[in-house]
Amino acid sequence: MTPIECLFKAVIDGDAKTARIVTADALQAGVPALDLVMEGMMPAMDEAGRRFECSEFFVPELLLSARAMKSALELIRPILAQTGAKPAGRVAVGTVRGDLHDIGKNLVSAMLEGAGFEVVDLGVNVAAEKFIDAVRTKDVKIVAMSALLTTTMESMRTTIEAFRTAGLRDQVRILVGGAPVTQRFADEIGADGYSASAPGAVLLARKAMSGTA
Amino acid sequence: MNGRERILAHLAGKPVDRLPLMPITMQFACDLVGARYGDYAMDHRVLAEGQLRVAEQFDLDYVNTMSDPAREAADCGAAVEFFPDSPAAMVEERALLSDKTALARLRVPDPLGGGRMHNGVKAIALLRERVGRDKLVEGWIEGPCTEAADLRGINTLMLDFFDDPAFVRDLFDFVVAMELRFARAQIEAGAELIGIGDAAASLVGPQIYGEFVQPLEQKLVDGIHALGARVRLHICGNTRFALEGMGRLGCDIVDLDSMSPLDLARARMGPAQILLGNLNPVTVLRDGTRDDVLAGLARCHLQAGPRHIVGAGCEVPRDTPHENLRALADFARSTAATPATPP
Repeated sequence: MTPIECLFKAVIDGDAKTARIVTADALQAGVPALDLVMEGMMPAMDEAGRRFECSEFFVPELLLSARAMKSALELIRPILAQTGAKPAGRVAVGTVRGDLHDIGKNLVSAMLEGAGFEVVDLGVNVAAEKFIDAVRTKDVKIVAMSALLTTTMESMRTTIEAFRTAGLRDQVRILVGGAPVTQRFADEIGADGYSASAPGAVLLARKAMSGTA
Repeated sequence: MNGRERILAHLAGKPVDRLPLMPITMQFACDLVGARYGDYAMDHRVLAEGQLRVAEQFDLDYVNTMSDPAREAADCGAAVEFFPDSPAAMVEERALLSDKTALARLRVPDPLGGGRMHNGVKAIALLRERVGRDKLVEGWIEGPCTEAADLRGINTLMLDFFDDPAFVRDLFDFVVAMELRFARAQIEAGAELIGIGDAAASLVGPQIYGEFVQPLEQKLVDGIHALGARVRLHICGNTRFALEGMGRLGCDIVDLDSMSPLDLARARMGPAQILLGNLNPVTVLRDGTRDDVLAGLARCHLQAGPRHIVGAGCEVPRDTPHENLRALADFARSTAATPATPP
């Protein structure tokens, strides 16, 4: 197997140790960092997402793949930064105010990173002001909000209203998701996109960056 | 036939006058008595008032003490964040067992020791006093996967299944011992049915469910039966992969979320299993019309067959139109439940 194939396999297998070793060896041998991302890591996370969508993977397996991907990315990211390679986009991700549930948010973050996005993880219980601050100060183009509860999903509405009040609504694409969230609710609150799954969120983010969502 | 008699007869495969009605209400019940949810979760008297009001006003056959998944973890000393008007939640970055070695020092809390579990036990006693034998009183405990996630942190637990399976087994054993002690206290206070909530189990897939979770759920179910109570199992989320295992547990009621089709559950669990649910609580019960609710319930009943209990797939959302919740009662009242296949 080539180093890129080894990295692909290690990420799919959720083997963080091997992913890191393979990446370090490949970089040492002169494999371009961008090739490792574009041909190894991203296809591996796409495949992990596909397996998740068709119930071959569940949350533990997806988290394992994400951990392996991140262990490799830690080595690759500084090199990419030196070469001036641009991420697919910068996304602020957070669970909305009043809600501490983060597993869905973490899956979305991992899938976005695996797809080449730079993720600004704002954590849980995130106030509207914090999302707005990320857009103002971190050049974030997409905001992705998560909520698990029917009560806290209303914070998505108030956050979008806060973006309008701040005059920033047109400068950012806002995506929403989480167990109780529906397309109807997303439309009602004026979100730009809704996904029922983490892999679906990546597709939305790609569309948002290409201006089709 | 009163609510208690109706549920118990239905579980026993005896004729009943109509389908039992057992939707989960927490925030909805709290709003009904004009209380703040923090008080509902922390004060057994507020919880009891809410449950009594919702059962009376919407003709439910039972009352229940569920409020949030953090009762047991709070008594263990875990970091829990309380909100004035929404359910308490675990603070994962300060998880009690972020250091695995802490498990060896952890002791099962006394469910009558003045903590949140004790508050739940007091709610059972008060509800039993108020409803007598007219409605069934249900207690509540967390299942092994959910409680382990509360103590360890859900993200970390998901990786522990692969990184340190022996630790997971030890943690699950601790949880089952604690939950059975809590169940015993609730049964002694008057609960005749114990609900097990194991939401995190829907995340793990068939291999982990079969190897780690189902055997410990089995211990809980067997333990509660040995204490003389009946068991409802509710796993939030999509449990298609686990339906066979859930069906083998011997639960008196399997309460399914709306993502888990009742017809598939019936096929996997056989004709005798009582299935509860599973109207979509958000898109149909809260956001639909009364006609949508009635049509959805008819579909549920067609899929579940006669051994069915009317309810939503998960908690009745707090802003559900009253007319829609009344539709549940109207449907249950108008639907006969002939026991086609006694258990």
